[in-house]
Amino acid sequence: MSDVAAVRRWVRRTQSAHRERGETLTTVYVALLTVLIVGGMLYQQLTAIVWPAAPSMSEPAAYSLIMALTGGLHLALRRLGPLGLSRPAASWLLTAPVSRRRLLLPSLWLATVAGSAAGALGGFAILGHAAARPVPAATDTLLPAAGALLGGGLVLTALAAQAGRRWSAWSDPAAYLLVAAGLAGLLADSAGAAPQAPAGWPAAGVVGTVAVALALVVVPLFLLAVRDLARTPNDRILEASRTAGTFADSVYGVEPSFVAEMLERRYWARRRLRSRPLPARLPVLVAQDLVLARRRPGRLLWLAAAATLPSLLGNPPGWVLALAVLAGGLVAGGVTTANVRTDAGNPWMLRMLGLSSRTAVAHRLVVPGVLAALWCATALTVLTVLGGLPPGPWWALGLALGPVGGIAAVRAARTGFVDNSLLPLDTPMGSIATGPLIAAFAGLDALLLGVPAIVLLAPGDPLSWTGVAVQAAVAALGTRLYLSATTATGRVELKA
Amino acid sequence: MDQSAIEVRDLSVSYGATAVLVGVDLTVSVGAGVCLTGENGIGKSTLLRCVTSLQRPDAGVIEVFGGPPGSTPEFWRAVATTVEPPTWYAGLTTREHAELVCRAHGFSPREAGIDEALERFGLGSHADALPPSLSSGQKQRLTLALTLLRPSRLLILDEPEQRLDAEGRASVAAMLSAYRKDGGTVLMASHDEVFAAAAGTSVVGMADLVAP
Repeated sequence: MSDVAAVRRWVRRTQSAHRERGETLTTVYVALLTVLIVGGMLYQQLTAIVWPAAPSMSEPAAYSLIMALTGGLHLALRRLGPLGLSRPAASWLLTAPVSRRRLLLPSLWLATVAGSAAGALGGFAILGHAAARPVPAATDTLLPAAGALLGGGLVLTALAAQAGRRWSAWSDPAAYLLVAAGLAGLLADSAGAAPQAPAGWPAAGVVGTVAVALALVVVPLFLLAVRDLARTPNDRILEASRTAGTFADSVYGVEPSFVAEMLERRYWARRRLRSRPLPARLPVLVAQDLVLARRRPGRLLWLAAAATLPSLLGNPPGWVLALAVLAGGLVAGGVTTANVRTDAGNPWMLRMLGLSSRTAVAHRLVVPGVLAALWCATALTVLTVLGGLPPGPWWALGLALGPVGGIAAVRAARTGFVDNSLLPLDTPMGSIATGPLIAAFAGLDALLLGVPAIVLLAPGDPLSWTGVAVQAAVAALGTRLYLSATTATGRVELKA
Repeated sequence: MDQSAIEVRDLSVSYGATAVLVGVDLTVSVGAGVCLTGENGIGKSTLLRCVTSLQRPDAGVIEVFGGPPGSTPEFWRAVATTVEPPTWYAGLTTREHAELVCRAHGFSPREAGIDEALERFGLGSHADALPPSLSSGQKQRLTLALTLLRPSRLLILDEPEQRLDAEGRASVAAMLSAYRKDGGTVLMASHDEVFAAAAGTSVVGMADLVAP
């Protein structure tokens, strides 16, 4: 059996022989500069997320946040492996006669460091949001340390889930449950206006005990994990490597659709379906969209739960609420737009169906429009019930926003790949790539049709039926204009 | 009256400095079957792509049923083709793809005989499968099944026998022959002259169409 380190050294030496001198240094320099520039621009906003100016969270809300973060971190680690290899290493070294433990150890270290760092950051965030200032020095160190240990523990649970389907069969649903329970707790807390966590919370003694207990469990288990590292099945490592590779491609090529496509492919690869007749009374593409929506119950459930998110924002300015509702409508409309993405990428099926682009897009707008309408109406109703809005038929305004969410979702799906061949814009801050910028705003620009809703929500005045009628008229006119401007009765393809 | 379904005159296509088609003439009458043959790279697929308007020629005239080929719904209701690689909708089974195509053309699944067609193409036991999970041969069968299930007046097929086993080739050839007997026109490219003969098409060498 060969030594992995020696093989890796040889690969690196051979690569550097035909790599341009200083290439690695340039990459490091560019990466560092990007982090510094973005960090410099967003430093204050990012700090405010973890450490707001004044803590305001209640004790139960803090526990809910801990649950949501724990479940979320486990799911994130599962998505990324946590054990993975670079694509060349997965192709060449995984099948080579080298020690598997040594081959996978760097990846385990990386996952542990990242998981612990995320855990520690979560610990800081809980202190920042809930602990009364000034935070005692002991708690200030102990809670992030406990968070780091918990993060390390989550790497181990994710590792076990990656190695064995029996473990993942219960750990993944448990993580989803934790996230859902955490979000529900946060919602209940914001509705009940609970008092802020008392001074001295969390007690240093309790946090210290939890940290020691975690250390006693995590460290021995980590050593066991290192011993059994070689037992992780090849297919799981290959899957994780492909995921990491797709993420890297997506970042390097500024093309988020790679990741979306991979997630979509994996979702359907796991599903076992039974053919059902398409609802005969509906237009054929509407019927197909309905079938797709019915086959994504998880996504619909998440959307239903997410309709409570605007109420979680606390008491923000009216325009922020309006933007949150509009953005939610866009996401809700996106449940079935995979079909539009397929047609925009390759119109083979549209040609097979022999439908004009106008008929196709008009039919494809129906289900996204209805989903967006239901979502916006639910979100605004929840806000009304929780007393976040002045009186008025807000649910009707939500329904009137349906076409806006539908158009935005369909427009975003029709954009296709990011055009990276467009000329960059030179600004005093540096050059900005136009392709990703245009792609990022495709769909969002259609939310401009929701301006009446922003105007109606912003001043905090009661809503009249006239306001609803104005929004409905703008949405209807927008749909008509969108169809006549971007489709034709004499063309099958979605792109002109 | 001998009306032509496809009329190609003086067609030229080149890729960079490489001229693939130079001064090509081709006429296919309504109800006729023509199979283009020739070695790889001689321009069979390029010619089929030009006839289906999926590629713009450098020069020449193409008419399909008396008009220029285009991207109109009317054109694509008359013409069915396998020249392009197919795409499949997410979360839609093999049978549902077939039903979608039939319904879009105004037929109910029973009228169109979807189940019989899938059975005939050896896809009966894969009706609930998602097309991306099928093997390459099964995908080819599904593509042909969809193409033949929907109504059309002209079929343009690029190597339909590809990836099919002997039994599959025989049954596809028989179906193409039946399609022509019902008044349809077939233009295809193939490397298999036995298949072309079984489908009742007359073989035309690409070398004979390309001017020296």
